[in-house]
Formats: sequence, structure tokens, C-alpha cells
Amino acid sequence: MNGLDHEIVELLPRLRRLARALSRNPADADDLAQATVERALVHRRQWRPGTRLDSWIFRIMKNAWIDEVRARSRRGAVLAPEAEGEHIGDAGAAAVEDRLAVGEVERAMARLPDDQRLAVALVLVDGLSYKEAASVLQVPEGTLTSRLVRGRAALLADLGEAAP
Amino acid sequence: MTPSPEIIAAYVDGELSPQAVAAFEAGMNADPGLVAEVARQRALRARLAVAFGPVLTEEIPLALRMAATVANDPQRPRAGLPQWAALAACLVVGVAIGQSLSPPSGSLVSEHGTLVARAGLARALTTQLAADGGAVKVGLTFRDAGGGFCRTFLSRADRLAGLACRRDNRWIVQTASAWAPPQVAPQYRTAASETPPAVLAAVDGVIAGAPLDAAAERAARDAGWGAR
Repeated sequence: MNGLDHEIVELLPRLRRLARALSRNPADADDLAQATVERALVHRRQWRPGTRLDSWIFRIMKNAWIDEVRARSRRGAVLAPEAEGEHIGDAGAAAVEDRLAVGEVERAMARLPDDQRLAVALVLVDGLSYKEAASVLQVPEGTLTSRLVRGRAALLADLGEAAP
Repeated sequence: MTPSPEIIAAYVDGELSPQAVAAFEAGMNADPGLVAEVARQRALRARLAVAFGPVLTEEIPLALRMAATVANDPQRPRAGLPQWAALAACLVVGVAIGQSLSPPSGSLVSEHGTLVARAGLARALTTQLAADGGAVKVGLTFRDAGGGFCRTFLSRADRLAGLACRRDNRWIVQTASAWAPPQVAPQYRTAASETPPAVLAAVDGVIAGAPLDAAAERAARDAGWGAR
């Protein structure tokens, strides 16, 4: 294994945690982590040694996740409503499985709008600073903080933590 | 004047400058509503850390390990690579990440909305001094406004840093934050210098007076952490 491979392996636990915070269930999260690692290795020459590998790979994960979310909503638009009706039994069973497999916090995360979920996942789950998270998302810090504030408020409301 | 939600978030996340922290805390003294809001935001941070933290110690799925090594590396021959070579690479990766695979932690349990330290974490908070090493490292020890003891901790197995205070013979976790053990030169670091800003910000909000020195810390431990 060369240096970059080794460093990517070291990052796998954090990549899986970030993917879990973004995805609706553990299976989707591992698909996302895998797609991220594959993209990172294909584009390995774009990484500049001396810069932070975690920020670079997190950015790849963000892009992979947004692509997946968009593809899914396109598929949803094409398939609905008949096709959805055909699989309603499966969907129901899957939803029950999801509820059993993931906890309250995970479900509240899954209900956040995409941009807020990214901000919350990077800062509150992974522990990046505002500056680092803004750089991963390629947005100004003010945009990051406003997404973070809205995401926090939505999570607290969803988790039933009433305002004082 | 009540600070904006952005400022409250920045305070809880440890993103304010020391001057801004001082101004914020002066505001907290005069505003119980603000104190409650800070506690609510800290609890949210801790819940997220506890919900997703255990993912870090799960076994990495084989497909993902493989993706990170040979199979998708364009610089290595893909076709013609013997099956055993891929398996061997996989075993090497297994050894490399083996050290991060510890059993599920269960160090924190949620009871009626509060997080209680248990198992190894609770033992370390009760018995260890800041000078001791181990899977859990204790940082600062100090008293809160009620005279009870509080301690910061870094838990290697749980990949969590946090602040716990002694209440009714248990350690109640006030805040917890994601924390990754350093890869290099741990002997040059102290638990206090590694503690994430969000946890240090929580300390600032709770501490009354100065942290205990080594002698006072030992005396408090030997006396069983009884409040004044």
C-alpha cells in the first residue's frame, strides 16, 4: 500500500460515520462510503499532497451524496405514482426495518433538508471547525453557520426538545 | 440583549474568540433563558455524538476495505491480479485497521433525558487521576457552582471527549463531542490540550474557581467525590 492508500484506510471509520449521518440507513451509508473511496482513488492525482486529505475526501463524499440524492429524486419522479403503488408492500416493510435499525436521532437527521444535514454532519457529528466545514462545502462561512443554526433548530424541534 | 442563534451556536461549538466568550458569559449571568438555551444546544451536540460515534468502532465491511485498496486502484493492474493477492492485501488492511476495532462501548446510557457514564468510563472518572494513562484519560477536575466535582475526559475506545459532573454518586455527562485519538507523539500531549473546543467551552460555563491541582485532585478522589 502506498501513502495515500494507507491514509484513506485510516479515514474509513470517519468516512463511514459521516456517510451514516447523511444517509437514510446503514446500507445506503456504506454504498456512499464505497462510492466515495472509489471516486477518490480514480481522481487521486487531483489531491495535492500537503493539503488535508480528510477535507478533500469529504468534499468527494458530499458530491457523491448530492448526485445520489438527485438521481433518486429523478427516479422517484419517473416511477411515481403507479410503480410506487406496486411496491408499497416492500416499501412498508423497508420502512419498518429502517425504524428498527436506526434511532430517533438518525431519523431526525434524515428529515433535515440536504444542505442543513451536510452542515450538521460535518460540524456536530464529525467535529470539523466552521472554517473547515465551509471549505468542504465550498460555501462562505456565513452560509455554513446559517445552515447550521437552521439545522439545529429543526433537530431540536423534531426531537421534542422544547425551547426554554 | 439576547445573542443571536448564530452566536449561541458559535459559543457552544467553541468558535468564539476569548473576548467574545467573556462577553457571552457575562450575558449568561443575567439571563437564565440563555443558560437554558446553551444547555439545550450542548445536549443536542452530545446526542449526535452518541448516536453516530459507535460507527467509528464498527468493523469495516469487506467491500469497502477492498475498494480502498487494490481493486479500484487504477495504478495497479486490475485484470490478471491473482485472487490470492487481493485476499492478501485485504488481510494486511485488516491488521492495519484492527487496532481501531474495539467491542461496542456502552459507556454512556441515556436515562430520562440525561446521559450517565457507565462501565469503563465511569470507573475511570471515579478512580483515575489526570496523571494516569489508559483507554480513558481524565483532564481537568474542578468544582461547579453547587460545589460538586466535574471532570473532563477523553475516551479512546468511544472516540468521545466530554465533561461529566458528579450527581447522586453517578457521573452525569454534560456534553460530549467527537474526538479522534492523535496518530503521533501522544507523550507530548496532555488531555487538556487535546480536549475539543466545544468541551472547553462547556467547562467555561460550569467551572467555579480554578481547576484542582494534583494534590487536591487526589484528595477529592480519595474522599469519594463528596460535594462540599
